[in-house]
Amino acid sequence: MTAAPIVESTQLSKWYGQVSGLNDVSVKVPGGVTGLLGPNGAGKSTFMKLMTGQLKPSKGTIRVLGEPIWGNPDIFFRIGFCPEQDAFYDRMTGLEWLTALVRLNGLSEKEADAAARRALEVVDLTEAAGKRIGGYSKGMRQRVKLAQAIIHDPELLVLDEPLGGMDPIGRRKTIRLIREWGREGKSLIVSSHILHEIESMTSNILLIHNGRILAEGNVHQIRDLIDEHPHTVHVRAASPRALARLFLAYDDVLSLKLEEDAVMVQTARPDEFYTRLTALVASGEAGEIHEVTSPDDNLQAVFHYLVK
Amino acid sequence: MADSASNGRTVRRGPSFLTASARVFDLSIGQMLWSRRTIFLALVVGAPVALAILFRVLDIMGFAGMRVGSRTIQGPTIFGIFIWMLYLRFIVPVLGVFYGTSLIADEVEDRTVTYLFTRPIRRGAVLVGKYLAYLVATALVVLPSVMLVYFAVVPIGGGGLAGTFPALLTDLAMLGLGLAAYGSLFAWIGAQLKRPLVIGLIFAFGWEQIVMLIPGYLRRFTIAYYLQGLVPHAMPQDSTVSFLQSVLRDVPPAWTCLVWLAVIWAGFLLLAARVVERKEYVLEQ
Amino acid sequence: MPIHDQSYRHYGGRREPQGRAWIVIALAGIRNIIRKRLFIGLLLMAWVPFVVYAVQFYLAATIPQASAFLAPTAERFRSFFEWQGLFVFFITVWVGAGLIANDRRANALQIYLSKPLARSEYVAGKLMILVSFLLLVTWVPGMLLLVLQVAFAGNFTFVRTNPFVIPAITLYSFLQVLVASFTMLALSSLSKSGRYVAILYAAAVLFSHAVFGVVSLVTRSTSLSWLSFLANLSQVGDVVFRLRPHYATPWPVSVLAIIVLIAVSILILERRVRGVEVVR
Repeated sequence: MTAAPIVESTQLSKWYGQVSGLNDVSVKVPGGVTGLLGPNGAGKSTFMKLMTGQLKPSKGTIRVLGEPIWGNPDIFFRIGFCPEQDAFYDRMTGLEWLTALVRLNGLSEKEADAAARRALEVVDLTEAAGKRIGGYSKGMRQRVKLAQAIIHDPELLVLDEPLGGMDPIGRRKTIRLIREWGREGKSLIVSSHILHEIESMTSNILLIHNGRILAEGNVHQIRDLIDEHPHTVHVRAASPRALARLFLAYDDVLSLKLEEDAVMVQTARPDEFYTRLTALVASGEAGEIHEVTSPDDNLQAVFHYLVK
Repeated sequence: MADSASNGRTVRRGPSFLTASARVFDLSIGQMLWSRRTIFLALVVGAPVALAILFRVLDIMGFAGMRVGSRTIQGPTIFGIFIWMLYLRFIVPVLGVFYGTSLIADEVEDRTVTYLFTRPIRRGAVLVGKYLAYLVATALVVLPSVMLVYFAVVPIGGGGLAGTFPALLTDLAMLGLGLAAYGSLFAWIGAQLKRPLVIGLIFAFGWEQIVMLIPGYLRRFTIAYYLQGLVPHAMPQDSTVSFLQSVLRDVPPAWTCLVWLAVIWAGFLLLAARVVERKEYVLEQ
Repeated sequence: MPIHDQSYRHYGGRREPQGRAWIVIALAGIRNIIRKRLFIGLLLMAWVPFVVYAVQFYLAATIPQASAFLAPTAERFRSFFEWQGLFVFFITVWVGAGLIANDRRANALQIYLSKPLARSEYVAGKLMILVSFLLLVTWVPGMLLLVLQVAFAGNFTFVRTNPFVIPAITLYSFLQVLVASFTMLALSSLSKSGRYVAILYAAAVLFSHAVFGVVSLVTRSTSLSWLSFLANLSQVGDVVFRLRPHYATPWPVSVLAIIVLIAVSILILERRVRGVEVVR
C-alpha cells in the first residue's frame, strides 16, 4: 500500500492579474525529502505559498497532509513553513520571538520558552538567544527562521530557499539538518534554484519551470526517461585511441570524442554500454581503465535538457 | 488547545479565538509601545500637556493674555477647549487612522504576516489581537495625557477639581470609546481597501467635517456625531466652520450615542476580522 | 569585414546634456501615479469646486438678479483657493508621502546617486512630481476660472478693475504648492515608511492649526497664528488678494514663518538625501 501523498494538487493554477504564477499543476508529492527545483520566476514560491495557505488557488485544488489548506488553521500544527523573505520583528530577541510565535500554537509560557530554547539549540543559536534579531547576521537570521518552522515539531516542513545568504559552513550544517530531519521521519519540501544544493539533500525532485511541472521523481529515473538525449560516458584510460576503436564497432555508440587521456562516448543504450565495458575491462582487451564517469547523470543535465 | 480523536487520528485544535487574540496581543503590544511611532505618539499627546503646563505657568505669573478685562478665562472652559479641539477633533481620529489602518497592513508591508498566518490560529484572531494592542497602547498614552491636562488647567481662574471631576471621567470614557470606534472603523478600512490611510484621512478630516455642517441624517454616518453627543463641555467656536457646526448641531441622547458607538465598534471589528479571514495578501518581493 | 562582432557595443548615440535627469525622474513618477484609477478620481473631485464656481460666474453673467450675490470678486477667488486647500492636503499626502520614503525603503537612493545624477537633480525631479499635480488643482483651475469669467462676461471689466488678481492667483498657488511640496518631501526623506510620513504631515498641518485654535481661544487673540501652517498661508493669501487679514499676526511674520519652513525643509533634504547612510 503506497503512503498517502503529503501534497496533492489537481489542475492547480494561480494568476496574479495577467501574469501566470502557476499553470495547471497536477502533482502528488510523496513523503520524505523532496527538492522543488526551478530557475528564478519558475513558480516555486507561488507553489509553496499555495501549499501553506498564503495564497488561494485561482483554479484547481490543493490538499496538504490529506486536508484542504485554505481557511484551515488547525493544519498548522502539522506544518512548519520557513518563508524566503528576510523579515522579522527586529526589536525582539531570538528567544522572545520564538516563544511568542510558539505560544500561538497553544503552549503555555513555560512550555513555549523550553520549546524555543530547544529549537535555538538545534540551529546553533543558543548563544545568540538573548540578542536582538536586528543585530543578527544574515546566516543567523536564516537559522532563526528555520527555528520558528521546526519549533512545534511538525510532520511537514516547507522550506523556501533555506540556504539563501548562508556561508558555506552554514549551508553544510543546514543541509545536514535537513537530511537528519528526513531520516527522523519528517517530510520536507525544499525549494532552491541551486542544483547542487538540492542534489546534496535528496534525489527526489520536482522540477518546475514557467509555472509548469516539467518532471517529478528520482533524478536518475528522470534522466533515464529522457531518451532523446543520449547518455554521455567519460572513460579515462591508458590507451584511449585503442578503446575508441573498440567502441566504434557497436551500434549504440552514437559519437566519440577523443581527449588526451580519455574518450567521451555518447550512447543511446547506457545499460548495454556499461555491461560491454565491464566485459572489456575483465578481458583486458581495453587496456588499463582508470575512471568511468557519467557527466550528465545529474540534476544539472536533467534540468538543462528539460528546460531548454 | 483542545485535542479530539477522529477516525483514529488525533485532531489538534488551535487555541480558542479569544486565547489566540490574547496571545497576538502579547506579541504586538510591545512593538506598538516601543517602536519609532511611539515618538510620534508621544509628541502628539505630549504637546497638549506641554501647552497646558504653559498656560498654568502663565496664569501663575499673571500674564495679561490669560485675562479678558479683569477676568481670567476659567480653567474648566480651557479644559473643554482642549478636549474639543485637540483630543476629539484631532488626536483620537488621527490615532485611529494611523494605527487602525496599519494593523495588518504593517505586517504585510514588513512581510512578517506570514509568521502569524502559518500558526494554528484564525486570521481574524490576529486582527483582533492587534486591535486590542492598539486600543491598550493608545489608551495608556492618551488618557493619562488628558488627566495631566485636567490637573494643569482646571485650577486656572480658581476652578475647582472636585466639582469638575465627573466631567473628567465622562471625557475619559468618551475618548476611550472614540479610540475604540475609530480604531475598529479604520481597521476595516485598512483590511478592505487599498490606500487606507488617505481614505481614513479623507473620512476623518473631510467627510466628517463637511457632513457635520449639513443638517439632516447624513451626519449620522459619522462617528464624530455620536462622540460629540457625549461631550460634557460647550463646543468652542474658533472658526466659521465650528461656528456653523455649533449652530447646526443637534445633540442626540446619551444612550443613543452609546448604543450606536457600540454598534459601530462591534460591527466594523467583525467586518474587519471577516475580511482578513477571506482575503489573500500578496507580499511584495 | 565578413564576420561581424556580436559582443556588447557601447552606446554611440546622442546624449542629453547633463542636468536634465530630473525631468526623467519627474516624468517617470508622474506616469506611475496617474496609472492609479483612485487617484484620477481624487483629481477629478478636486475640480468639483471649479465647476461650482464656474457655474456661479455663468449665472452672474447671464442672470442680472444673480450678479448681486454671485458676482466675481477677489474674495470669491480667495475662497476658491480655501476649498482647493483641502485637495492640496489630500493630494500632497497621496503623491508625496512615498516619494523619497519608498526609495529609502528599497535602498534605491544609493542606486540613483551612483548614476551621474546630482542630489539636487534627484530632489528637483521628486519635487516636480508633487508640484505638477498640485498646480493642476490650484493654479490651472484658478486661471481657467478667470478665463471663463471673462468668456462668460464677454468683457475684461473684472480683470481691468482687479489687475492684481492674475499675479495673486499665480503667487498664492505657487506659495501653497511650494510650501506643501517642500514640507512633504522633507518629511518623506526622514522615514522609510510612506504611511508614517503621511501621518507626520497630517500632524504638522492639522495639529499645528488645532494648537493655534486652542491658544487663540484661551488668549482671545490671533496674534500667534504663526504657530499654524495653515494660518500662515491663509494670512499671506488674504494679503495677496488684498483682503482684510483673518488674524492679528503681521503678515511679514507669516511670510517669515513660511520662509523658515521652506528653509528647514531644504536643510533636512540636504542632510538626508545621500548615497551613503551611516548606521549607528
